[in-house]
Amino acid sequence: MSDTQGFAALLGELSTFAAASVRMAAPLLIAGLGEAISETAGILNIGLEGIMLSGAFAAFIVAWATQNVWLGIMAGIAGGMLASLLHALLGVGRRADQTITGLALNFLASGLTSYFFLMAFGRTTSLPECPVLPAVEIPLLSSIPFFGPVLFSQNPFVYFAFVATGLVWLLFRRSEWGVILHAAGENPHAADSAGLDVIRTRYVAAAANGCFGGLAGASITLGTLGFFMENVTSGKGYIALVVVILGRRQPFGVALAALLLGAADALQFRMQTGNSGIPSQVFIMFPYLMTVIVLLFSIGKTRDPASLGIPFDRGRR
Amino acid sequence: MRFLRTLGFAALVLLLVLAVAAALVIAVRADPGKAASGFLRGAFGSFYSISEVLVRATPLILAGLGVSIGFRTGFFNIGAEGQIYLGATAATAVGLLFPGLPALVLLPLALLCGFAGGGLWSAVPGFLKSRFGLSEVITTIMFNYIAINVVGILVRSVMKDPSYPLPMSPDLPEAMHLPVILEPTRLHLGLVIALVAALAVWFLMSRTAAGFRMRAVGLNPRGSLVAGISVPANLLLASALSGGLAGLAGASEITGIHHRLLEGISPGFGYVAIIAALLGRNHPGGIVIASLGIAALQVGSSSMQRASGVPSSISWIIMGVLVLLILARRPDRDRVAR
Repeated sequence: MSDTQGFAALLGELSTFAAASVRMAAPLLIAGLGEAISETAGILNIGLEGIMLSGAFAAFIVAWATQNVWLGIMAGIAGGMLASLLHALLGVGRRADQTITGLALNFLASGLTSYFFLMAFGRTTSLPECPVLPAVEIPLLSSIPFFGPVLFSQNPFVYFAFVATGLVWLLFRRSEWGVILHAAGENPHAADSAGLDVIRTRYVAAAANGCFGGLAGASITLGTLGFFMENVTSGKGYIALVVVILGRRQPFGVALAALLLGAADALQFRMQTGNSGIPSQVFIMFPYLMTVIVLLFSIGKTRDPASLGIPFDRGRR
Repeated sequence: MRFLRTLGFAALVLLLVLAVAAALVIAVRADPGKAASGFLRGAFGSFYSISEVLVRATPLILAGLGVSIGFRTGFFNIGAEGQIYLGATAATAVGLLFPGLPALVLLPLALLCGFAGGGLWSAVPGFLKSRFGLSEVITTIMFNYIAINVVGILVRSVMKDPSYPLPMSPDLPEAMHLPVILEPTRLHLGLVIALVAALAVWFLMSRTAAGFRMRAVGLNPRGSLVAGISVPANLLLASALSGGLAGLAGASEITGIHHRLLEGISPGFGYVAIIAALLGRNHPGGIVIASLGIAALQVGSSSMQRASGVPSSISWIIMGVLVLLILARRPDRDRVAR
């Protein structure tokens, strides 16, 4: 009798934890998919953190002002795209070093969002709140034991992340666009000789990255938190970069990697609330530590696109 | 002609940055006159404010020099922030472990350990890159988050001052304080150390075989390999030196300013140092100048915030715009500089 009760309690705990892991994985997965598209086309965008931060802020401020979550999401996408296109303008258009440009983008986004946040709200002690996209229980599916609460009672961002994973797989593997993307990242000169527009392809990939990254940022402020604070993304953009490496730029690989690091984040939150007397920094540190450890397992298993990070210069080979 | 064009570009950048700054000030509905005078007063207005700029420039010069060694060897060290924290921790540990030593031994030992602490912390990503090809950009950033939390844990546990409720270490012995070189300001010997370090880095990178090998690896790893220069060994060396200088910056902040370990010892010095290295074009002299300029910008912005309510994060926006504008101008040269 007590055994079955204990088992039921354990299963309940587990499903709560698994649901939290999936929720935490969503921003990493969405941003990771965008970056996978960008890197496949040959653009390494370290500015993902800045893209997500811009998206998170734009989404929050519009949702707060209009009290409409959907307008907030649109703004988040726009904010992310703006940031990503700025990166592309320099990294693709002006052939600047992509890593330095990405870094500068992060500084700029961090400064701008914090500036405008303070401008709008001053140094208030109470955080201004915005509406949050509520969880949607999918009929029938959500009543499946364990999997129902874990996979089918989530906020719409999570569902979008699932669907987008499949769509990006289709894009990569089953569409002409996927071939063009890979060509631009592997051998842009050959692609150019074959009559493909490498520069335009890379701009489109950058726009897609901004769209996904902005949405990932919006999923943080509008999906879970309901508020914004300075540097709210707290390195999630960098962790998403690891997710992309770990997932070998393949959509389903990215999804698995995002789930793994999402679980690390969920575990961290769970242990922090445990009230054990251990400094909370021990737990806060955990996802970052996990990220490094997990990176060690990627050694020797990934192969970067041949022209990753190298600006395309038509006149030079 | 080329010089004139550069001058013209500099003027254009200055104009654009001023325009951005003015737009931002107007956007928060602050009084532009008040803001400008607050900024100028804070950065250059008095003897004391100039000394504060120099105090702020000290860790930027040290960490910026470190970042530049990494850049020139092809080790993209974004981890100076964490290395500053680790250097500060190592220096503090020396003071807590050997409080009885005379200043002449204790102070150099603390600085040396700060260098070693930062260097070892950076050598780990350096090793992971040189041995396994793991991107240092990501590992060094992750190491920043880890280092900051490690300090958070230490000042709450083994290094905590038991007589104080706040998370910080006990006061370090007097013998460990870097002497102030300009009473009554806070300007300490760290600035001299930073300037000497700039000379040393210039000598190392431009006048020695070791520096030449590191630069060769940064410019052309494959060519270096063919010429018999070990790429992994030089990457490892550069990562350790790079982190070591950042660690020295942390040790200098502890021994010169705080005299104890606490959580916020670096408000992003490690990240700003990257900008200093970029703007200084990885040249020690350039880095000193860029660090002074950035320090003036930051100290001025803080004063502007107090005077007119313009958020001091405006300095980050200006730095970001500055770097992007420069990237837009000379892309190819920057690529080679890596």
